Amino acid sequence: MKKLYLFLLTFFPLTVLAASDVTQLEGSFKVGPAIILIFILTLFVLVGIIFRAKDTTDYYAAGRSISRVGSGMAIASNWMSAASFLGMAALMYGSGYHGLSYVVGWTGGYVLLLILMAGQIRRYGKYTAADFIGDRYYSQSLRAIGAVIAIIISIAYAVGQFGGIGLMFKWILGINYPMAVIIGGSVVLAYTLISGMLGVTKNMQIQYVIIISSFMIPMFILTAKFDYFWLLPQIGYGAAVQDVVDGVMISEKSGLFNSLGHHFAIVPSPEYAMPWAPSTGQTMFHWVAIAFSLMIGTAGLPHVIQRFYVVPKASDARWSVVWGLFFICLLYWSAPVYSVFGIILSSNPEVGQLAKDAIVVYTAQLGDVNPLIVGLLAAGGVSAAFSTTSGLLVAGASAFAHDLYVKVINPEAKPKTQINIARLSTILMAVIIAAIAMLDLALIAQLVAIAFSMAGCTIFPLFLLGIWWSGSNRAGAKAGLIAGSLVTLISLTYLIAARYEWVLPYNDFITFYLGAWYFAWIGAPLAIITNIVVSKLTKETPIEIRKFLIEKVHS
Amino acid sequence: MLSQAGDNGSSTLTYQTQNNVQTEEYRISFFRPTTQRALVNRNLTIKLFILWAVAIFGFQVLLKVFEKPVQEDALVRFTPAWNNVLSGQAGEQDYQAAGQSMVQAMGKSTLSSAQFEALQDGVGWMLSNVLSDGELTDLQREVQAVNSRREQITTLHDSEYVAAKQVVIARAAPALGIGTGTLLAQLLSVGLSNNMAGISEENKQKIPEIMQLFMTHNRSFLTDTVVLGFPFHYFYTAVLLLIFFIVLCWYYCYRIDRLHARLNFLERTD
Repeated sequence: MKKLYLFLLTFFPLTVLAASDVTQLEGSFKVGPAIILIFILTLFVLVGIIFRAKDTTDYYAAGRSISRVGSGMAIASNWMSAASFLGMAALMYGSGYHGLSYVVGWTGGYVLLLILMAGQIRRYGKYTAADFIGDRYYSQSLRAIGAVIAIIISIAYAVGQFGGIGLMFKWILGINYPMAVIIGGSVVLAYTLISGMLGVTKNMQIQYVIIISSFMIPMFILTAKFDYFWLLPQIGYGAAVQDVVDGVMISEKSGLFNSLGHHFAIVPSPEYAMPWAPSTGQTMFHWVAIAFSLMIGTAGLPHVIQRFYVVPKASDARWSVVWGLFFICLLYWSAPVYSVFGIILSSNPEVGQLAKDAIVVYTAQLGDVNPLIVGLLAAGGVSAAFSTTSGLLVAGASAFAHDLYVKVINPEAKPKTQINIARLSTILMAVIIAAIAMLDLALIAQLVAIAFSMAGCTIFPLFLLGIWWSGSNRAGAKAGLIAGSLVTLISLTYLIAARYEWVLPYNDFITFYLGAWYFAWIGAPLAIITNIVVSKLTKETPIEIRKFLIEKVHS
Repeated sequence: MLSQAGDNGSSTLTYQTQNNVQTEEYRISFFRPTTQRALVNRNLTIKLFILWAVAIFGFQVLLKVFEKPVQEDALVRFTPAWNNVLSGQAGEQDYQAAGQSMVQAMGKSTLSSAQFEALQDGVGWMLSNVLSDGELTDLQREVQAVNSRREQITTLHDSEYVAAKQVVIARAAPALGIGTGTLLAQLLSVGLSNNMAGISEENKQKIPEIMQLFMTHNRSFLTDTVVLGFPFHYFYTAVLLLIFFIVLCWYYCYRIDRLHARLNFLERTD
């Protein structure tokens, strides 16, 4: 273990947070927050044990026994990841109005998901995204490819979550980042292995309550403490946004200080709120491309789609989206509160450069909120990352065990073998995710956005056309998938090249128009057009599939 | 049976096929609905999609159409003062105006370290022009005391450190025409570097670019109108759009449920 630790210390970046020691925002082991975290995690594990999966149907789809509101809460909990809890405020803190493209993208996508897919996906009656792809496009190879894509997307998405878990464990336990990722990752892995999706779904409802409460309580305190309309902080912070734009002089809020003794004051900073401020380096194109990519990615994410399999019928799937979106918005309306207070409270250069991804917690600390409540906030951040990671690991394990192993490799596999394979693949995924998370490639929300663009370029076109156009056939699906994957590959190649400071041909053009966080803006339409053209030119979809679409999906 | 089944369309097709009707009818296309339910669903989906797209992207287009680059007051004061400084024709007021503006820019939390250091050099340079040699030497000593004390302390509340900052404020702030009890004075006390003798040619080039970058903003009536305390565009995007998404989703579910009730359409339960 010690050797492993030394290896990690040698090869992985040691610190993510760079807050100055003198500010004491990091500090050492925090007893109160640690107790809160342990209590919450124990609660999750207990619930997981009580509601643990008993067979494969339970494991994959929670026995299809979840109500609309319950499913909505599970959707919200599953959705509200570290990217929502920590990452959105980080983006708004760093790039102002541009960060709102993530808020809009991650909520607006549910409208698309509802009106285009939710009910139909449920009626199709499959367990996983790869199941749908394999059956709809009558191809074992596409099923396998779909499963591999689902696994890759789940891993990409979960990297950001492990990053968030690592940051919060680091803050609470006072240990270094790689060790925090290993400990946090081990806990989430243990929980997922114990429970399966039934436990996960039940847990998600509890997690939602914890996540939203822990996010809301410090927000009320901050708005009340700094003299804004605290009864509805989601509206009350508007005046704080305007204050940042106009500047707050010491005399205006005299007597109000942050925990370091700095006045609650800031120079005029319109770049925080004005659209596409030049200092952020972001343009309207970026805003639109990110929002669009995130929205279509939402409708193509395996672990989101999978949520619709756990409700009894299609109308429940539709209404669960409404409830889910409402529950999600409660957090999304609140996230900017932390960024705006973070901007004001950290505006003195003495505070130093703060790690943006931890700005939610730092803001509460700088606002001199009670340490136990800050601890609850950090535990909420862990819960957010935890709930999503569980869903992702289950989705990835389902793709491997159900779609690859049972449907392609060993159709005769017994249920017990399936469960074991699912658990083995869960462990393998967790190890891969932890290793990538330690590389600290980008902000949490940006890492998650990569997964969205990948889903938008690959799975979304297959579902959209697969449901709504019987003319889309196997050849078209393969061609579309190749087109979408090609765009993905180009974008990610340039991302990695930039990371290692390699300059590839057309570097400026590609990195501007095919940025890793938003390449689906062009990749998805290209995949759809390619699918349509090739489908038109090749042999028609078999009658059995068309018949199934009409009789089962659209009736 | 045909007329009954015709209400929900799809089962019509099933019935017909069981009676050996042409299989060409087994085709689904969103844009060519073959049943009343599909037709209503298509129209509803298209309407909601258009509303959704216009609400999101249409508003951003509006922001772009109406935006105008507007400079902060500090930048308006900085530009002529800085030009005078560079051309060697600056008076004390120019040094003070440029210095104040740069101190204000140092309060921008999104500055990079390199940008902050360039501004530090700029402010130091302005001070070196308004203070006598003796005063500048004293100030440099006082700044060094602050910076070295900062290296040693474990809390920003350290009384010696706080006192040292006050000494710097008392000397530097009046020199730049800044009130000692102001936010700019606070920034000045932590924003000076030990070396205030001069400025590199590189930083002379960089500073106006940094000022331009951080103090020019895209504004219009959409950003300057205040609604419930918010700049309107911010309120629209961060609050109103999300409410609109929920309303769209609720409306879709409500309409589909009503449609199904009207057509006696029962969804399967597995």
